[in-house]
Amino acid sequence: MSVAVQSERGLVDVRSQRWAPALATLCGLLLVAAAAEIVLDGAAGASPLIPKSPEIAGWLQGIGERLGYRVFLIALFVSSGAYAGLVALARRASIDRLRAGAISKRWAIVLIAALHVIVFAGPILLSTDVFSYIAYARMGVEHGLNPYLHGPLAIAGDPVSAYVGHDWERVATAYGPLYTLLSYPLAPLGVVGALWGMKLEALLASAGTLALVWRCARVRGFDPVAAILVVGANPLYVIYGLGGAHNDLIMMLAMMAAVSLTVAATPSARREAGAAAWVVAGALIKATVAVLLPFMIVSKRRLAPILGTLAAVALGALVGYAAFGIHGIDVVAALNRDAAFVSTDSFATEIAHLFGKPGVFPIDHDLLKAGLVLILVHLLWRTWRGYDWVAASGWALLAISVTSTWLLAWYILWPLPLAVVTRDRRLLAATLAVQALFVVHQITPLLAPVQ
Amino acid sequence: MTGSSAGEATLAAGEERWQRLPPWLRPRTVELKGGGNLRLIETTLLVLVGVVLATATVNDVGREVGINRRLIADLKTWRQYTGHDYHNISIDQEALGAGSDREVLCGNTSPGPPKGRTQICLAIWGAVVSGRRTVHGGWYLPPGIEDVTARRYGCFGPAGRGRCPG
Repeated sequence: MSVAVQSERGLVDVRSQRWAPALATLCGLLLVAAAAEIVLDGAAGASPLIPKSPEIAGWLQGIGERLGYRVFLIALFVSSGAYAGLVALARRASIDRLRAGAISKRWAIVLIAALHVIVFAGPILLSTDVFSYIAYARMGVEHGLNPYLHGPLAIAGDPVSAYVGHDWERVATAYGPLYTLLSYPLAPLGVVGALWGMKLEALLASAGTLALVWRCARVRGFDPVAAILVVGANPLYVIYGLGGAHNDLIMMLAMMAAVSLTVAATPSARREAGAAAWVVAGALIKATVAVLLPFMIVSKRRLAPILGTLAAVALGALVGYAAFGIHGIDVVAALNRDAAFVSTDSFATEIAHLFGKPGVFPIDHDLLKAGLVLILVHLLWRTWRGYDWVAASGWALLAISVTSTWLLAWYILWPLPLAVVTRDRRLLAATLAVQALFVVHQITPLLAPVQ
Repeated sequence: MTGSSAGEATLAAGEERWQRLPPWLRPRTVELKGGGNLRLIETTLLVLVGVVLATATVNDVGREVGINRRLIADLKTWRQYTGHDYHNISIDQEALGAGSDREVLCGNTSPGPPKGRTQICLAIWGAVVSGRRTVHGGWYLPPGIEDVTARRYGCFGPAGRGRCPG
């Protein structure tokens, strides 16, 4: 390398060192401003993007205007752009070790905390799911009904039933018995109290997940600041995941607790059994995370994770059966039922349209399942031959969301915490690319608004 | 690298039981170096999948924009045909055939809450010309009623033929 090229590169580095903090600040401010815009406008009242809800953010009314698709999408695109900039800066900072000047630990934590507080203070965003959670809890606690046998329509007179999404009124819960039991203490608080309880659960789960991401990144030799920024400032994570108080955040907390136990410098049988038990606990919240187990077991090739799995499954099945009967532990039936759903945002639907078909047919479900099985077998083989089981689990979760005919924004968050603590950078790139395509797919109302 | 010595070197303690397997089948605690070909194949497949997903997404956005433009023309047609500049107009994209470009738009015939007055439904299809499409007929519905054949009356035009009871 010539002296001229070296000095030119040095000059560029000095310039980027100078500009990096300013750019990072700008990206952070844009993220905060976009989140605040969505929350304040969402609090203003009736909007197609805010589910019908008891008034929990009335104190924010009068600042924003009714949230329409146009403003929401502009805010989503602005925050996505700012996030991309921030991720690039964080990655560069961690590679060049410029972080002290560009993105400090304190700055990153303050930014993520600000985003979380803004969304926590506002109304429920973009999904009625949280009202289904509350309805299932109230069915069990207030009405003595089994939420694994009845849909929320069974408590039509209950105050929460007015807020449950129309499509879910007749659908019994698909969530695990551990999640249902966790939600039961919130039922007697009334709809508003339970809503705040659910929001608090999601907030704490997110904080816990980010703390574990930090720990795993540090132990595995990655920059923890970049890792928590990639997860905690992600617009889909903040606006869709936290904004909707989705229980996926609690599932992700259990997932990261499991990973955290296995990345310890000195592996022990107890930790590995505990990690497997955490995965089972996560699956008893939302079944998807169970996909981590085979990778963990194949990677460790010891008895401890198998014993941990069996003990946790036995305990979970016992508690689930005692609380809800056989339907409470029939995870397969719930998964089969949900696998038949089709959403317009799923890649399966988009590909069907690409080939001139009106939608997804039963044969497509079978093809997608076969494709998913092939991917999982390949990943298991790779793990058997020494590939990082955490990365393999991340790929498996990404494959599940991409091949699902029922794709929602918070499903493509699942692999994100795993992607930032693995050495295979393709996983993070693929996860963010899938998220970017999801965001692009939302653009239609901006290009051709129907009024 | 396919030699068994490298494979043995990476086996963890207590894993001697796997030694009975052929080298290519034995588990490893870390991946062999030189797996570049497999990584290349995986990356190529990932890029191909990415291209398909990106193409499908862009195609779907184009398709949805086309549908929305058609619906915008339908709403303009309904408003011009009835002379009412109402905003609460329901659009049924499946009544005249799912996946077709034929729509039924229903709205009040006089000011009132959504579906709160006698409704007029128009069957609309054809090319968009000057921001509008052609009305091929329609029918009326009593207040507060969804568009079901049994409750239709006053069917008119070719599209309304045979769509009212009796």
